[in-house]
Amino acid sequence: MRKIRVLVADDHNLIRAGLRLVISQESDFVVVGEAENGRQAMEKARELKPDVVVMDIGMPDLNGIEACRQILESLPDTQVVMLSMHSDEGYVLRALKAGARAYLLKDSAEADLARAIRAAASGKSFFSPAVAKLLLDDYMRKLERTGAEDSYELLTPREREILQLVAEGKSSKDVANLLKLSVYTVETHRANILQKLNLKSVAELILYAVRKGIIS
Amino acid sequence: MSSPSQHADLSRTLRWVLVGAFLGLVGLMLVAGIAALSDLNHLHDTELTARHSFLQRTQAISVLCLSIESYNQTAERYAASPEPTHPDLDRMEHLRSEITTVLASYPGGRESDDVDALHAIDDLFAQQRSLFEQMFTWPPEQRRLRAVATIHRDIEPLQISILEWSDRLRSSGDRELHTADQAMLAQFSSVQTSLTRSLVLALGSGLVLVLASMLYILQLERQTQGRYLELAHSRGELERLSARLVDAQESERRNISRELHDEVGQTLGALLVDFGRLSASLSNAPPDVRGQVERMKAVAEGSVRSVRNLALLLRPSMLDDLGLVAALEWQGRETSRNSGTEVDVRAEGVPETLPDAYNVTVYRLVQEALNNAARHSGARNASVKVTCDGGRLVVEVRDDGRGFDPKHTRGLGILGMEERVRRLGGRLTIDSQPGRGSAVRAELPLEPNA
Repeated sequence: MRKIRVLVADDHNLIRAGLRLVISQESDFVVVGEAENGRQAMEKARELKPDVVVMDIGMPDLNGIEACRQILESLPDTQVVMLSMHSDEGYVLRALKAGARAYLLKDSAEADLARAIRAAASGKSFFSPAVAKLLLDDYMRKLERTGAEDSYELLTPREREILQLVAEGKSSKDVANLLKLSVYTVETHRANILQKLNLKSVAELILYAVRKGIIS
Repeated sequence: MSSPSQHADLSRTLRWVLVGAFLGLVGLMLVAGIAALSDLNHLHDTELTARHSFLQRTQAISVLCLSIESYNQTAERYAASPEPTHPDLDRMEHLRSEITTVLASYPGGRESDDVDALHAIDDLFAQQRSLFEQMFTWPPEQRRLRAVATIHRDIEPLQISILEWSDRLRSSGDRELHTADQAMLAQFSSVQTSLTRSLVLALGSGLVLVLASMLYILQLERQTQGRYLELAHSRGELERLSARLVDAQESERRNISRELHDEVGQTLGALLVDFGRLSASLSNAPPDVRGQVERMKAVAEGSVRSVRNLALLLRPSMLDDLGLVAALEWQGRETSRNSGTEVDVRAEGVPETLPDAYNVTVYRLVQEALNNAARHSGARNASVKVTCDGGRLVVEVRDDGRGFDPKHTRGLGILGMEERVRRLGGRLTIDSQPGRGSAVRAELPLEPNA
């Protein structure tokens, strides 16, 4: 079986060593390289073409978000697992916009890292349970305080189905194949969903899905 | 060296001296004016008297001459007429008494010349009269033959003498008038002199006073300017000092935050990773060992959380990692999570990369305003709006809380906001009334290349 090739990028030696240990314990993973800042991560990724990059969000000389954006520009098949100290949606949303597939909190990294890498490698999203909980809490509190209606109720069953598939990382073509619809119909549904939920991008849609507990 | 209080004493004394001198000058001019007026009045009276007495004398002399002439004519006619009439006699008597009255009541000082002339006229008139009266005693025939010759020979010389004396009297009156005129002229010129003297005195002392006042004012001006410069200088010093304090505080916070995050946070993070591996490898160990490891892990997790929160409080990493807008959104969510105030953050056209001074200023301002809204004013809703149009960044934080009176409530927080905004050349306005919520607004001019 082909092993999942992982690049680890973190500016702290201790953390890097810890991550490498956790990853190498899994028999289907192999650590192909390490980087200690964003720029180096970009260079190593271009050189080693890993399946997954495990990247710290706050690094000197090009932070993780910017490095993620630039890596995915040149290597669209590579997936990025973002590591962060922060569970706030500001970071999560920007990481998603940059194209990160998974978002892990550092304090729970060792427990969830293997799951996150596997999910990302197969093109699925993964969020630390604490992040998902915080996003959901923020969302519920806002609904409660402003008395706004849950816009999820506005969606048709078909739209909810498509929302989940898109949030899981499927392309319009994949969704069309799965549901036996035309790509054009799926695109129309997607546009309607974004409009009904008042969202601007797929990144925001993923965030929304995490909040609603549609994906984990 | 003179101390400021001595200086002030001197200045006060000088002021009173100047005021006294001004009052004295006004008094001097008043007295001089009144004296000159009364002198002129007196002069006018004297002149009137002199003219009056001259007129009276001239009149008296005219009356005398005319009366004597009249008397002579009447007497001649009486003497020449064959039938003397009573009316002529009466008239003569009347003229005679008039002449006597005029002579007796001749006005003016009884100078010897005048007295001599009056006596002479009186004498000559008496001689004339006695000659006429002698003539009247003559029989008519004789009067007709001799009267004209007698008159011509005896009376006319007397008449001429009377005229001569009256001329002398007149010229004496003229002389007197002239003397009076001279005296008046002298008096007038003395008034003029004294008036000129006091005028020159007043003008001179006024000039001196004006000069002294100007010097005094110049000195005051110099003092004021000196004090103003001193004040401006110390104000500038104070501003520089407080700017340095703010800078120092901010950089110190950043250093401590980075230290906490990088060193303490990462070490604890690595520890957590190790704990995770440890607990995974202890899956077959006794439960009490596993429980102990789990507890240690929980303690480490708690420490990581507090270190992270402390670091964020000191300096939010979003400001450095994600920029101003993300940091404000985070601050808004944090406030919403930890208080009863729901915060809505909106940003329009804010550049991704702003100079750090702007990031920090806007962030701290919003942090302070949200803190006030959540902690003190019990607001249910608050909104943060950051817009960038043209060359300025506008930040507005509104809440629907209790509000306050910005004139009287000026906490350190507001002072800090003002200080930060002023350093960037901006303007801070706080609009709030008790019971009406509050709005904090800052306008920051952006540098052209910012």
